[in-house]
Amino acid sequence: MPISLAIDYHVGTTFRCLDSGFDWVVAVEQGGLPMRSIRLAGTTLVSTICWLGIAASCCNLAQSEENSAAEPKAVSFESDIQPLLKEKCGKCHGPNVQKSELALHTAAMIQKGGESGAVIIAGNSAESRLFEMVKQGEMPPDQQGTLTGAELELIRRWIDDGASFGKGSADPAREITQHDVVPILLLRCTICHGRHKQEGGLDLRNRESMIRGGKSGPAFVLGKPEESLMVKRIHAEEMPPHPRLTEVSVKPMDPEETKTLARWIELGAPIAQEEPDLAATANDPLVRPQDREFWSFQPPRASPIPQVAEAFRNQDSNRLHTPVDAFVAQKLFEKGLTFSNPAERLVLLRRVSFDLTGLPPTPSEAQEFLQDAAPDAYERVVDRLLASPRYGERWGRHWLDVAGYSDCEGRREQHLPRPFAWRYRDYVIRSLNVDKPYDRFLLEQIAGDELADYEHATTVTQELEDNLVATAFLRLAPDPTWANLTGFVPDRLEVTADSIDVLGSGIMGLTFKCARCHTHKFDPIPQRDYYRLVALFKGAYDEHDWLKPQLKNYGGALSAGMGERFLSQVTSAERQKWEEHQASIQRQLDALNAQPKTPELDKQIQSLESQKQPEPRIMALWDRGEPSPTYMYRRGNYATPGSLVSPGVPAVLSNPDKRFEIASPRPGATSTGRRLAFAHWLVDPEQPLTARVMVNRIWKYHFGQGIVHSLGNFGKMGDRPTHPELLDQLAIDFIRRGWSMKSLHRQLVVSTTYRQESLVSEKTKTIDSANWLLSRMPLQRLDAEELRDTILMVADELNDTCGGPAEPVRVRGDGLVLTGLRRSIYVEQLRKHPPSLLESFDLPAMNPNCLQRTDSLVPTQALHLWNDEAIRQLARQLADRALRDVERQKETAGAGSADTQQIEQVYRIVLGRVPDPNELTTCVESLAQLKAGWRNQPKAAGDASPNEATRRALATLCHTILNSAEFLYID
Amino acid sequence: MRDADQFTTQNHTITRRDFFSDMRTGICGAALLHLLGDELRADSSSEVPNLLPRRTSRPAQAKSVIHLFMNGGPSQMDLFDPKPELDKHHGEAYFDKIAGEVENVKDAGALMRSPFKFAQRGECGMWVSDALPQIAKQVDDLTLIRSLYTTNITHEPALYLIQSNRMVSGYPTLGSWVTYGLGSESQNLPAYVVLDDPLGLPINGVENWHSGFLPPIYQGTRFRSTGSPVLNLRPESDDPPEIIRLQRDLLHRLDQMHKGRRPGQPNLEARIGTYELAARMQLSASEALDLSQETQPTQEQYGIGQPTTDSYGRRCLIARRLIERGVRFVQLFINAQIWDNHTGLATDMKAACDRTDLPIAGLLQDLKQRGLLDETLVIWGGEFGRLPIAQLSADKDERKSGRDHNKNAACCWFAGGGVKRGLTYGATDELGFTAVENRVSVPDWHATILHLLGLNHDELYVDQHGLREKLTGVQPAKVIRDILRSA
Repeated sequence: MPISLAIDYHVGTTFRCLDSGFDWVVAVEQGGLPMRSIRLAGTTLVSTICWLGIAASCCNLAQSEENSAAEPKAVSFESDIQPLLKEKCGKCHGPNVQKSELALHTAAMIQKGGESGAVIIAGNSAESRLFEMVKQGEMPPDQQGTLTGAELELIRRWIDDGASFGKGSADPAREITQHDVVPILLLRCTICHGRHKQEGGLDLRNRESMIRGGKSGPAFVLGKPEESLMVKRIHAEEMPPHPRLTEVSVKPMDPEETKTLARWIELGAPIAQEEPDLAATANDPLVRPQDREFWSFQPPRASPIPQVAEAFRNQDSNRLHTPVDAFVAQKLFEKGLTFSNPAERLVLLRRVSFDLTGLPPTPSEAQEFLQDAAPDAYERVVDRLLASPRYGERWGRHWLDVAGYSDCEGRREQHLPRPFAWRYRDYVIRSLNVDKPYDRFLLEQIAGDELADYEHATTVTQELEDNLVATAFLRLAPDPTWANLTGFVPDRLEVTADSIDVLGSGIMGLTFKCARCHTHKFDPIPQRDYYRLVALFKGAYDEHDWLKPQLKNYGGALSAGMGERFLSQVTSAERQKWEEHQASIQRQLDALNAQPKTPELDKQIQSLESQKQPEPRIMALWDRGEPSPTYMYRRGNYATPGSLVSPGVPAVLSNPDKRFEIASPRPGATSTGRRLAFAHWLVDPEQPLTARVMVNRIWKYHFGQGIVHSLGNFGKMGDRPTHPELLDQLAIDFIRRGWSMKSLHRQLVVSTTYRQESLVSEKTKTIDSANWLLSRMPLQRLDAEELRDTILMVADELNDTCGGPAEPVRVRGDGLVLTGLRRSIYVEQLRKHPPSLLESFDLPAMNPNCLQRTDSLVPTQALHLWNDEAIRQLARQLADRALRDVERQKETAGAGSADTQQIEQVYRIVLGRVPDPNELTTCVESLAQLKAGWRNQPKAAGDASPNEATRRALATLCHTILNSAEFLYID
Repeated sequence: MRDADQFTTQNHTITRRDFFSDMRTGICGAALLHLLGDELRADSSSEVPNLLPRRTSRPAQAKSVIHLFMNGGPSQMDLFDPKPELDKHHGEAYFDKIAGEVENVKDAGALMRSPFKFAQRGECGMWVSDALPQIAKQVDDLTLIRSLYTTNITHEPALYLIQSNRMVSGYPTLGSWVTYGLGSESQNLPAYVVLDDPLGLPINGVENWHSGFLPPIYQGTRFRSTGSPVLNLRPESDDPPEIIRLQRDLLHRLDQMHKGRRPGQPNLEARIGTYELAARMQLSASEALDLSQETQPTQEQYGIGQPTTDSYGRRCLIARRLIERGVRFVQLFINAQIWDNHTGLATDMKAACDRTDLPIAGLLQDLKQRGLLDETLVIWGGEFGRLPIAQLSADKDERKSGRDHNKNAACCWFAGGGVKRGLTYGATDELGFTAVENRVSVPDWHATILHLLGLNHDELYVDQHGLREKLTGVQPAKVIRDILRSA
């Protein structure tokens, strides 16, 4: 007789432990015997033994089945099942701890199920999740607890026999309440019978308004579904009306949903009074006190600055500049290492200029620094760079990566433009340039709309505008919902999820998105906590009351009663300027219109009309009040709503003694105040992650890798800090210095650690090969923007205009995407058309954001720099610039041939130094050959004059240097 | 998981393997190291993602893939899935039964029979309509799947899904995963080549071959079938050869001096390597695209020279030349979405057939003649299927009708590379609205393709922000064993 269970494990089946920290696979071969086992990715699990366990249990099963056929005996819940579940599952699914919201200690709790719904389906063990989990050995998670074949069989029989709970425990099945019905009505009906529209005078948002009904009478008759108007209309398929479904992005009622509604009416429309779910209660069954013990959930702790051992001090005492150095030196010392030599001055200048402004030093800046013998010369350079407007452009770009900035919506063929997104980009740059405290920066971006009363403000100041513009941070996720077909509830939920993902990974350093479908597998983030966050955002992101991105030429509201998604609160000054402009055009138009019509006049009128400007507006996110209730979505599926949750913050990050309170931001405000409360909580100095995550990010951009390497994951699956005390100290200092980013930069770049050279010695290569100990500075490739901006700058072509609408890109027929001359941060960011040069050097696609760029090395980079006509043209301009410079300095120039002087000037401009003798010899020789080469090519040179040959030869040399490793890599 | 102290191991050495294992951001995940033999690790000079060929844990049936992507959603009941019941119920209302599944509700018409005639073809007796007379002659080499289904009726998300198994952009596509898993047999050409239509990009543009969070080296490289095949493969105007030689020489000397002063920096060597590959590509890519090396009969076999088939025929022939030269994954696109026949089924869809039928049949024959079909997996299909009801044209003229999108059933086929020959797999209901027998999900389809290439969909992954990302996602996917020649 074939073993019944073994059918599930037929040939070729692989078992795997889904999403666990380790991953194991057993391949089943002919005959049901494990022919081989494959061990993966560092697991120590002995999969073969495990499989044998299963195989053995199959055999046992067959045995016991035969036995049971001979001697049937009913399984008792009380004496067989309950004790078994208590022993095997009680630790995590009992009265105190309820992982995945599942408790198995009472009949009622088992019947209630967990966050993914029912775990037992009476009479059907194959469909019962509890049985599936234990059968496959996924539960209990520790292998010692794995159920024996006999135990498995006991559970299977109990379920298949009807899962009887015996006497006394059989609670009546949970009855249908409003919580089963409201989600259905929100999904299918309230778009036309809800807050904004009551077609036929009907509002279906709650029981009272349903009973009150509309023009045709009450929506239902209590206890009589068949006589109830709404049930009749749904049965007749008149509601929701089929032809209008797409227009309002609604799907028809599912027959099961209609049944639920009818049953609720039949029962008399019962209302369940559920206690509201409150965040941060002391005894949270979902998050245990020990879960908070993980390092990143503890507030940063100050540690004494290490007293580096005597030997090290003697050797290097004068180099322990800052506390940063003491922490780094400590670890180096423990491994028998010391700091590398200080970098040469010009190398350091180039490094710090790129780091703080994204551009190299000019030849005169380099000259000045070399000649400045004062002890604080370097510190003054740092201050100059931090004060430069270029600083905000450089660090603004880093922030835009985190935020996921784009000038279009995305996820559709026609990428809808975001005509006002640039205001957010400028806000970021402005904020960084004035060193806006990071806590304030976050408050504005998360809840700027709730910080001040913009609705009733008579004058709009720059500050007020900034508050609103800042909230575009939460509008940057790719959003296809402007189109009807990609505007359904699940599409909207994607947008919300992306925004929460940006916030969670980018700012809080945790992978919250995992908890959208189930309790986080590794971090103590129950699914409930994800939906608490969703509820926090519901005032603005309500999938049942959605503002669609606005089509460009749509002045007014879109279909389905959905309102405007731009605000008009630009500064009063800007508005006034615009009004005056429009008025002046209008005056001229009025004057012309008064004259008799001529073709000439028509032309003038047309030309004036085209000078009118669209009304200036703001892309923003704001709380609209009265959000719909938030139900958890089982397995992330909107069609299977679970329990109701209230707005709240993740339990593991909250102080259980400090209640999270939400208050209206102002008396009489429309806004719920939810996001403002959240933002204040997030920037509370006690918050363990906010400061750490940002400090770590800034560290990464200076030192090449974070103290925690996984910038967006400080959880269990993320990396541990290489220097935990240092990270904490930096976080504490950051907060103490008023969350000032500039003072953090200063603290880092003046350190000895930062001033080291990048040479790898035999010793550091052996002991610190990946540079985790910071025994040197890394050799770093220029990123996409640094590369493009620098090429423009050295060719003297960079347009340094700040701010304003983006500079458009041009897409050539062959697909090459070309840019203008402004800094890359001001180049239009279109998801479909990333500028080719930037793209090949790893400009990220924003889906929804980018936490860490890749540093690739691919031939397309070489092809672009070597062959692209725009780069070649810039090389010619660079050569002409060098020639002009040499000509100008003729009187002051020292000895040396013209060739030498030209080569030296190219080196000064591009690399910030003069060539060493070997390089000079090579270049002089090569330049002479190139000149001769060009002279021999009269046809190619167009003009065979010696001057033209010189220009061309020098341009070729410049082009070579732009392709050289030294240009691309910073020491 | 790595503790801070782990980097201070006893012998104070961090091997290259550790280095890979600890890269968390997807730049070069450790995913494959366990699968790899010494070949990859022989490349110890480079710590950057590369395209060296890798060994698979199990024997591969196919070495390379030609994916003939039919964007728009070809109509199953007009090509490969005859529905006599549609003839019987032609003109009957059906809309209310499928209201939630219709994109353009205002134009929804009644059930509509196919304007094409079906017949059983070849020795295997596979049903093919008269819209594809040439492919019909090759059926004994095909495995036809009639029961593919997807989960979205809108082009953009459905395209993302079929290419990357996610309904949103930003995830690596099938071709990227394959080249990530297998590397390339050619070090002179990109591993993953896209031959798009000179008439324009498909919907979703370059996102159809994006590498998502995998390093860009695994992204599809567009080869144009005329002019310069790769962006910036050549400068707009070539410098004289002597100048080029001098310039290369100067660059080489400067880079060597730079590298000499910086020992122990593998990236510098790797970067020099990219310039060398770029130079090799200039020659190889041009050579691979030079169709004048092919005989007249071969060109005619692909329909080259005939106005209707010339363009697609060229791309099919280039595809063969590329896989001959070791390219791993070649993907062919047609402009816009010629298979999106909302109207004019009898005319517009026939035109799409006419453009592709002969070239594809030619490709199959040619591969077979050259003994390449066994090691090449040819895939044909679109992003979804179409509805059994008519979609009426604006003037409601039934003769101009087409069909709207359908996610519940679509057909696709495989040829060569380890699949059975002359097999028809799966079935739809009597009207062709939904797949009912041996249903094949998109992740199943992906898993099967990976399997044929010797890859296991559950083992091919990268760690990405705390999640083990795979092409097939977290939901289980199954290899369709019934279509494999050796199961």
